Amino acid sequence: MNNRNFVSRLGVHSVLLVLVVWSVVPFLWAFQTSIKFTRDVAAKTPVLWGYETTANAYNAFWFKDDEINMFSVLYFIVAVFLIAVVIGQIGKRVTVGWPWFTGVFVFLAFSLWIFPRIFEVDNNYQFFINSLVVTVLTVLISISIGLLAGYGLARYTGISGALILVVALAFRALPRSAFVLPYFFGAKRIDQWLENTGIAEWDFPLIDFPLIDEFGIFDSRLAIVISLVAINQPFTIWMLRTFFMDVPREMEEAAMMDGATRFEAFRKVIIPIMWPGIIATALFTMLLAYNEFLFVRLLATTNWTLPVAIVSLTGGESSRTITEGAAASVSITMPIVFVILLFQKHLVKGLGAGAVKG
Amino acid sequence: MNRRTFWGFTLPSVFVMATLMVVPLVATIWLSMNQLFLRDINNPSFIGLDNYREVLGDEEFWAAARFTLVFVAITVPVQMLMGLGVALLLDTVERVRAIYLAALLLPFIVTPVVGTLIYKDLFDRGGLVAWLWEVISGDPFIVTASNVKWLIIVQAIWHVMPFAMVTFFAGLQTLPGSRVEAASIDGASYFRQLWHVTLPHLRVLILFVALVSIMDAYRVYDSVFVFAGSRFTEAHTLQVYTVEVAVDPQIGRVGKGNAIGVLNVIGIFVVLIPFLVISYKDQIRERH
Repeated sequence: MNNRNFVSRLGVHSVLLVLVVWSVVPFLWAFQTSIKFTRDVAAKTPVLWGYETTANAYNAFWFKDDEINMFSVLYFIVAVFLIAVVIGQIGKRVTVGWPWFTGVFVFLAFSLWIFPRIFEVDNNYQFFINSLVVTVLTVLISISIGLLAGYGLARYTGISGALILVVALAFRALPRSAFVLPYFFGAKRIDQWLENTGIAEWDFPLIDFPLIDEFGIFDSRLAIVISLVAINQPFTIWMLRTFFMDVPREMEEAAMMDGATRFEAFRKVIIPIMWPGIIATALFTMLLAYNEFLFVRLLATTNWTLPVAIVSLTGGESSRTITEGAAASVSITMPIVFVILLFQKHLVKGLGAGAVKG
Repeated sequence: MNRRTFWGFTLPSVFVMATLMVVPLVATIWLSMNQLFLRDINNPSFIGLDNYREVLGDEEFWAAARFTLVFVAITVPVQMLMGLGVALLLDTVERVRAIYLAALLLPFIVTPVVGTLIYKDLFDRGGLVAWLWEVISGDPFIVTASNVKWLIIVQAIWHVMPFAMVTFFAGLQTLPGSRVEAASIDGASYFRQLWHVTLPHLRVLILFVALVSIMDAYRVYDSVFVFAGSRFTEAHTLQVYTVEVAVDPQIGRVGKGNAIGVLNVIGIFVVLIPFLVISYKDQIRERH
């Protein structure tokens, strides 16, 4: 073992550690603020250890009732998690392919539905549900139509394919401010029309927002999902196309020789080997939808997703809003950290593959 | 694939982009030539280019444009250099690489609004950095109109650097080891090797990251909104300024906001047209 090698490795690790500290410190700070009592947060010299911990801030953010026992909430979450894992594992053994996932999905949806019936939740829980619905729908719709287009663009050699790709790239570059005001304007106009024609009185369960009585575009999940799908489409088709380019044409040609139509070959031969690419693209779409702020701020006045709900907590400088804001920040970050940790490899690979030829 | 099948596959996506991106863009251009107030949104009146004339004579617009340019000019190169450096370091580490990667990715995946909030908490009264500052310099740290711009820039680098890092890191994984070995057998120093072997290999990725970073830095909104809000209007970027003009609850001027929106589009295209031309030529070449 030579000395110089050891010194240089020590150097590398210390630089990396400094960078890790720079990346992570804000999160640690937010976490420990969120579990402090307000008197410790207000202290002039920060109390770094030995302070009493509390879940008050989480309680204030999520629940109406201050007397809720946060341990029962914690037990609930852990139980849901464990049961979901068990269902997933059983499903994986009993069923073939991906249907095992439906069991987990149905169970998680059920838990989200039953939760506010056990604990008395605040509006923020509804914003959390909004975030989930918007994210899931955006990912599903974006990836579905993006897969079709990405495949078409990867295989077609005509000029119109090149044009679509370059125009999409140009649209990827446009700032949000180029679209968002017409959306705002258009949504209000459509709502007036809906009201005049009486369609506003109809009932649409998933699309419609539970807190408002009338069906409308403005201030609904529908508007947010549609706009997010649209603004993410250029990115989605570029990234998926790159993954399709890696799939050799012979794959579907062989299937088509055997009598399959182009679409059957696409669905039964190409899609199954595309999963890594689909997951990577879905992860980015998920981040974009879950994190979106501007569109939600403008298209929803009361029925927000979490990022907008959180900003409303930042108005004051009192210790109470600081702890509650920190608790909210930790709560909103947990789900994405969890998902990304599960799929970290796909994310890193996706960035590399999506970029190499992009 | 023949043309009909191609359109069969692409139509849903193209339809969505046409109705929800092209139409709004045209609407933006049309609305930008109207006088239109938020509280009276049904009565646009056509006034031609007056909105543009007003915006171009507006000191606040130029201030926002200047800060946006400064923001892009600082964050993009710094974050790319840092990203490249960290990727090269990570490449030499084997054992705990996954842990480093996970920790370093955290600022990138966090919701931008939340990332800004927790960053801001460090600098607010009672925050970690504010306290350290007071201990070291003796003066309390106060967020002011002049230093808030720097806070925004530093936070942006913190937030976006992992993107450059992971992309370059993924690119380094595809670098054939034989080429590096050949270079080091020839006695090339580390930096010559970096310059002649590694960087050329990453050329396409560097262009890609530059392109995406410029686009994203130019349209930064969330962090500036949280940091500057209505307190430090001097630190507004073009996007924040646009939206504030348009949806201000008292005097929301939708027409003027759209005019700034159109100017934003022109601004980013001036920068990006060379990239788009290169990309179009690449696409055509691929097809022959």
